[in-house]
Amino acid sequence: MAKVTDMVLWDKPGEKVLLLGNQAIARGALEANIAVYAAYPGTPSSELTDTMAIVAKKAGVYMEYSANEKVAFETALAAAWSGLRAMTAMKHVGLNVAADTFLSSVGMGVEGGFVIMVADDPSMWSSQNEQDTRVYGKFANVPVLEPSSPQEAKEMTKYAFELSEKFKHFVILRTTTRSSHARGGVELGELPEEIKAGKRKFGKFKKDPNRFVDVPSNARKFHPIVLEKIEKIREEFNEMPFNWIEGDEKAKVGIIAPGLSYAYVKEALAWLGVENVKVLKLGTPFPVPYGLLERFFDGLEKVLIVEELEPVVEEQVKTWAYDRQIRIPIHGKDLVPRVYEMTTRRAVTAIAKFLGLETPVDYEELDSRYEKALKLVPPRPPSLCPACPHRNSFYAIKKATHSRGIYPSDIGCYTLGLLPPLNAVDTTVAMGASIGIAHGLEIAQNGSLSEEARKGGKKIVVATIGDSTFFHTGLPALANAIYNRSNVLVVVLDNLVTAMTGDQPNPSTGQTPHGVGKRIPIEDVAKAMGADFVAVVDPYDIKKTYETIKKALEVEGVSVVVSRQVCALYRVGQMRRRGEKWPVYYVDEEACTGCKICINAYGCPAIYWDAEKKQARIEPSMCWGCGGCAQICPFGAFKPVEGGDE
Amino acid sequence: MKEYSIVITGVGGQGVLTAANILGWAALNAGYNVRMGEVHGMSQRFGSVVSYVRFGEDVYGSMVPEGKGDVILSFEPVEALRYVNHLKYGGMAVVNTKPIVPVQVSMGKASYPEIEEIRAIFEKDWGAKWIGFNAEELAVKAGHVITTNTVLIGALTQIPGFPLGEEHVREVIALSVPPKAVDMNMKAFELGVKAAREILKL
Ligand code: SF4
Ligand code: SF4
Repeated sequence: MAKVTDMVLWDKPGEKVLLLGNQAIARGALEANIAVYAAYPGTPSSELTDTMAIVAKKAGVYMEYSANEKVAFETALAAAWSGLRAMTAMKHVGLNVAADTFLSSVGMGVEGGFVIMVADDPSMWSSQNEQDTRVYGKFANVPVLEPSSPQEAKEMTKYAFELSEKFKHFVILRTTTRSSHARGGVELGELPEEIKAGKRKFGKFKKDPNRFVDVPSNARKFHPIVLEKIEKIREEFNEMPFNWIEGDEKAKVGIIAPGLSYAYVKEALAWLGVENVKVLKLGTPFPVPYGLLERFFDGLEKVLIVEELEPVVEEQVKTWAYDRQIRIPIHGKDLVPRVYEMTTRRAVTAIAKFLGLETPVDYEELDSRYEKALKLVPPRPPSLCPACPHRNSFYAIKKATHSRGIYPSDIGCYTLGLLPPLNAVDTTVAMGASIGIAHGLEIAQNGSLSEEARKGGKKIVVATIGDSTFFHTGLPALANAIYNRSNVLVVVLDNLVTAMTGDQPNPSTGQTPHGVGKRIPIEDVAKAMGADFVAVVDPYDIKKTYETIKKALEVEGVSVVVSRQVCALYRVGQMRRRGEKWPVYYVDEEACTGCKICINAYGCPAIYWDAEKKQARIEPSMCWGCGGCAQICPFGAFKPVEGGDE
Repeated sequence: MKEYSIVITGVGGQGVLTAANILGWAALNAGYNVRMGEVHGMSQRFGSVVSYVRFGEDVYGSMVPEGKGDVILSFEPVEALRYVNHLKYGGMAVVNTKPIVPVQVSMGKASYPEIEEIRAIFEKDWGAKWIGFNAEELAVKAGHVITTNTVLIGALTQIPGFPLGEEHVREVIALSVPPKAVDMNMKAFELGVKAAREILKL
């Protein structure tokens, strides 16, 4: 069982290895001789970027963690303009950030292959919404490829580069949580010589202001060109290797299964034991190829489209059928739910209904048994790690504001500050939005310091934002708040990595995958922008943090407190690797009065309640030794174990 | 064999994904098609985690459909119950009976069921065979709590009809842990095997 990242670079064509969908895509990009890769991490796309980070140097690929998706997009796009094969990756909402550049540049096309990997998150396992990237594809007239297995993800990535280069057009490779995070056997293909040799590839940008400057006179020419390209690509997709018709040729009923839905449809058909159907497996939900539809519809009396989220394929198929005067029933979203992810149960239920069959499991009966079982199950949401510095920052903020503030927050581990006992997150909208929302709340309730009609009042809006998010989209919002004389406190929870997606570096880390980058201290940025109060604190010192926040709240204007302490999970991981130990705390039974402050106000997951003795206890295997509990306990009941432990 | 489906559950940080990976590789080495799925939610740290391993001749989806799992392997008792809907009627449950109490329970906002209540649901409502034991205790006996997942995997290999040979599984474990931890893990595996055989009266 070799390391995954080694396998991604193995020069062993024909070998079968177990890869995550995202890792399979990385391998596909390497097999396609990619030269430049730039991305901002976002679940469920992150492992693709992390894998590239580890193999890039050996493979001679330039790779960067960009500050946000728009910048990443521009970096990769410019490389593709220079004739190189380039890729960027993001989660679905990341494409919103890159959308301005994306939609404005699509008409210019590319020289080298340019692949935009976008990972959607149906059911929102770790996202703020459920948008369907295929709709963006249609909007921008960019073809969308969607794999149905890890093996196909690898092959399709390779093909995506070829397609892009052939038509000099962008290509979206769309995955979902279920395909990005599925593992399966993947057969390795050939690696190009340049990748094997680790040879860095350089391109050449040929100036062409008529193409690369989108002043209206040029831009006007682009739109028809894009439409022409997409029709040619539609033609091409009739023959592309990831689209095919299978099953009973003489069948009267047909099922169209785009992307990953194909896997669910196959499973459902096998489970139902249905054989007399024709299946159109579609690797290209946009544009749907008409020639293939023509062949597929031949002889059919009814059709079902099993697709996840929006009726993207359904609308194309129905429009086509209407124009061709085909008048057979075409089912889709009437039988398949439009919200949340596809499951085998959903596919089975839809197909059973479509064909008038019984489902193999009596789901109603199963649900009622399950409901009864669930009554016994307590909730277990994820929580901030033991020793997480954010817990202390939130604790200090709550204390300094007597829990009476409004707390706009952002996207990161710290969003979990929403949960009890901290309850320190009132709003979370999108990356970088905390500062903008805080400003808006202050303006709406008290007014700007520059207004004569300002109502005044105490500053009670405290925005929290992480370091990576600060550089992602917090910067313009901070400039706006300072410029417009807001009266808010911004606490930057600087743990020096992008923790939620797996400890990727960012401008506050300073380190890049290639070595030392240049670290940008957040306090310097805040000072340079003209914040009215700037301070740096260590949240492991709760008292000092509390006092600094109190002081910041008294200052009129925008205050920025940088609460800096490295992510505990990251620190513990590093220490474990080096074989180092950290202190472990315990509860002194003499001192603990059972007041429960540590549980009801602080909430470190290593602290639990001993119901018999009516006292707090620490689970030693979960304590990461920050000493936070010792600082918040009024009775001094938490003490370090002599000698420490691992 | 057309298909065999395992549901692995536990709490973030317990090693659920590692266990899934070991079983996936063992199945791949045994020549099966393999498809695995996992939930990477919001950091999932100390939250509920589930992972699926499916293998056989015909495998498609990476998730085990509701009512189709052959076995649940759980690192924590209530986490077994949380995903019981994925188990088929008459399936198997291999469960570490050592609870990890959620913060909500400590705060007095929720309660934690008795192990016997959980067992009763598996046995009565799911017609399932319950193989419950304190795997953590055995792991400590083998040398370290981190071998809990090896103990559980050892027990899993003993259930009737389990399609992967003990040897295949041992081999992967030996390759996936640091060299100096191999002996400890083999001991942990053995303790798991023994525990399951005792319960199953083999
Ligand atoms: S990963 Fe780091 S930032 Fe996230 S909860 Fe854990 S300690 Fe806190
Ligand atoms: S020292 Fe206290 S607060 Fe810090 S991790 Fe250990 S138990 Fe939790």
